[in-house]
Amino acid sequence: MTPDRWTSGDAELTSALRALYAAPADDGYWNALEARILAHVARGEVSLSWWSELAEMARPGLVAAAGLILAASMALAHSRQLEVTNAYASVISPAPSSIEPATRAASVGDGDAAVHFLISR
Amino acid sequence: MLATIAPFPPYTMPSPAEGMTTERAIVVAAQRGSDDAFSALVRIHQRRAYAIVRAIVLSHEDAEDAVQEGFLHAHRALDRFRPDQPFGAWLYRIMANAALDLVRRRKVRVAEELPESIPMPFRDPAESGELRQRLQEALTHLTARQRAVIVMHDVEGYTHGEIGRTLGIPEGTARSDLHHARAALRKLLQNLRSSS
Repeated sequence: MTPDRWTSGDAELTSALRALYAAPADDGYWNALEARILAHVARGEVSLSWWSELAEMARPGLVAAAGLILAASMALAHSRQLEVTNAYASVISPAPSSIEPATRAASVGDGDAAVHFLISR
Repeated sequence: MLATIAPFPPYTMPSPAEGMTTERAIVVAAQRGSDDAFSALVRIHQRRAYAIVRAIVLSHEDAEDAVQEGFLHAHRALDRFRPDQPFGAWLYRIMANAALDLVRRRKVRVAEELPESIPMPFRDPAESGELRQRLQEALTHLTARQRAVIVMHDVEGYTHGEIGRTLGIPEGTARSDLHHARAALRKLLQNLRSSS
């Protein structure tokens, strides 16, 4: 038996294959299949258009959501920046109560300024 | 869109040259949205489409599912088809892919019996029942592509080149698949054939 071609002994196998894979011969079957194919295509296109519409509706929603997220992020960043600025300001700038005696001390005289400042602390 | 399809006149087979022109006109009409034209394309190609997918899947029911799915894919991709190309080759490639997809989705391959409504040349169980049963079982041991190649070649009479184009594989691969499929079937059916 040659490995790459059917021999006469394989004719039986070939005819069994043909029998197994024989397509329906009845025209009624094909008419029914045609109707089912067209119905399947119609259903498929309807569901596709439904999804497309949903996708189209979802697109502006997604853009709006992205805008909201961006605005919220910016507001959060801004408020954090303010917090940091205020924290720095509270650390750097001297307390108002300590300035007043110091300035009053200056009016008393330059020589006593240091003493007045130390007393006021 | 296709839910209400108007009756289309029975299709009469044109001559080959006339057929190409006619089919091109039908394809163009279908591309422009004619449901009647698309149903004419289904009518023209469904038998061959069935034969191709049947070669790949394991059961008649799966073949019907794959044909329906293939035509749905074709309908969706129709506007991307260039009418100067042979429509059949394009469609059958889609069909083969639909069938291969279906085979991939099936986790358990169970070859089902063909329904009684389908005419079978073999009717005498004593004559061919066992061979048919064993053959059906043996075919489940082949890969989907090997099965497709052997059925398309030996049952449908496709050339290696046509098989390669339809399945999207080189011609040499189609030849090699055929060789391996035959060798596998011979081995699997060895006992049966030597005892008969």
